[in-house]
Amino acid sequence: MGTPRRLAARLLRAVLRLAPDESREWATAMLRELEFIESDWAALFWALGSTTAILRHAASGLRNWISRKGRNEEGRMNSTGKKAMGVASGALLALMLTLAAFGLMRIIMILFPGLGHQDAHWPYFLGAIVFPEIIFVVSAILLWRKRTPIAAGILFTAIGIGIHVTVHLATR
Amino acid sequence: MKLRLSPQTVLVLDAFLDQAEEWQYGYDLSRVTGLKSGTLYPILMRLAERKLLETQWEASDPGKPPRHMYRFTPEGLRFARANATAPASGGLGQVALGLVVR
Repeated sequence: MGTPRRLAARLLRAVLRLAPDESREWATAMLRELEFIESDWAALFWALGSTTAILRHAASGLRNWISRKGRNEEGRMNSTGKKAMGVASGALLALMLTLAAFGLMRIIMILFPGLGHQDAHWPYFLGAIVFPEIIFVVSAILLWRKRTPIAAGILFTAIGIGIHVTVHLATR
Repeated sequence: MKLRLSPQTVLVLDAFLDQAEEWQYGYDLSRVTGLKSGTLYPILMRLAERKLLETQWEASDPGKPPRHMYRFTPEGLRFARANATAPASGGLGQVALGLVVR
């Protein structure tokens, strides 16, 4: 056995030792073929080519693994991000509706000062709080099946506003 | 996933088609196609991963190392018949400018 063939065998045995599990069968196959190559130099070139093939196979396996892992992470992040966005948009919608109702009632009070009389708090609370709260609850129920995060956002805001109004009424 | 049909892959398909029912060895395929091991084996690996090629270790005599053998699966045979060119009659020398010249 000449030096190039010895070198080839050593190289392929080293590759076989270091190869990942999924490439090991192929590395073994290439090593076995070495015995059937007549020329020593051809054996060395065979081993060099085989080493490249195994490296590429191992690299492709690693790349697939990283890509799969990346996709999973991305999927998880996307899912969490989408839910958070849904909740935030639901809360934002509810807040905007409350502010709009509140602003509308203020304009009505300015236009019709008689309504803003000390004894006339109820129309104000009815327009700015009770009606929006009813809208929130109804829309949350309707949206719950298809747009759960948005419905949850609306519901959280409705509960927050409800608690705020209750505390406000209780303390004054 | 779609298999990229490079001229070298077509050569390998042709070589298998020549003896579709027979098990073939890596070194013999290398000689028939003129492909180096660094080109041939990635093609064999891809074909095997896509279940177009079945592999088997040769049951050899004691003291003799077993060899890895390859043969088309029925699906591989269909794929090769659909994609390979005429029966192979030469090696890599026939591949020119990305085309298999016959």
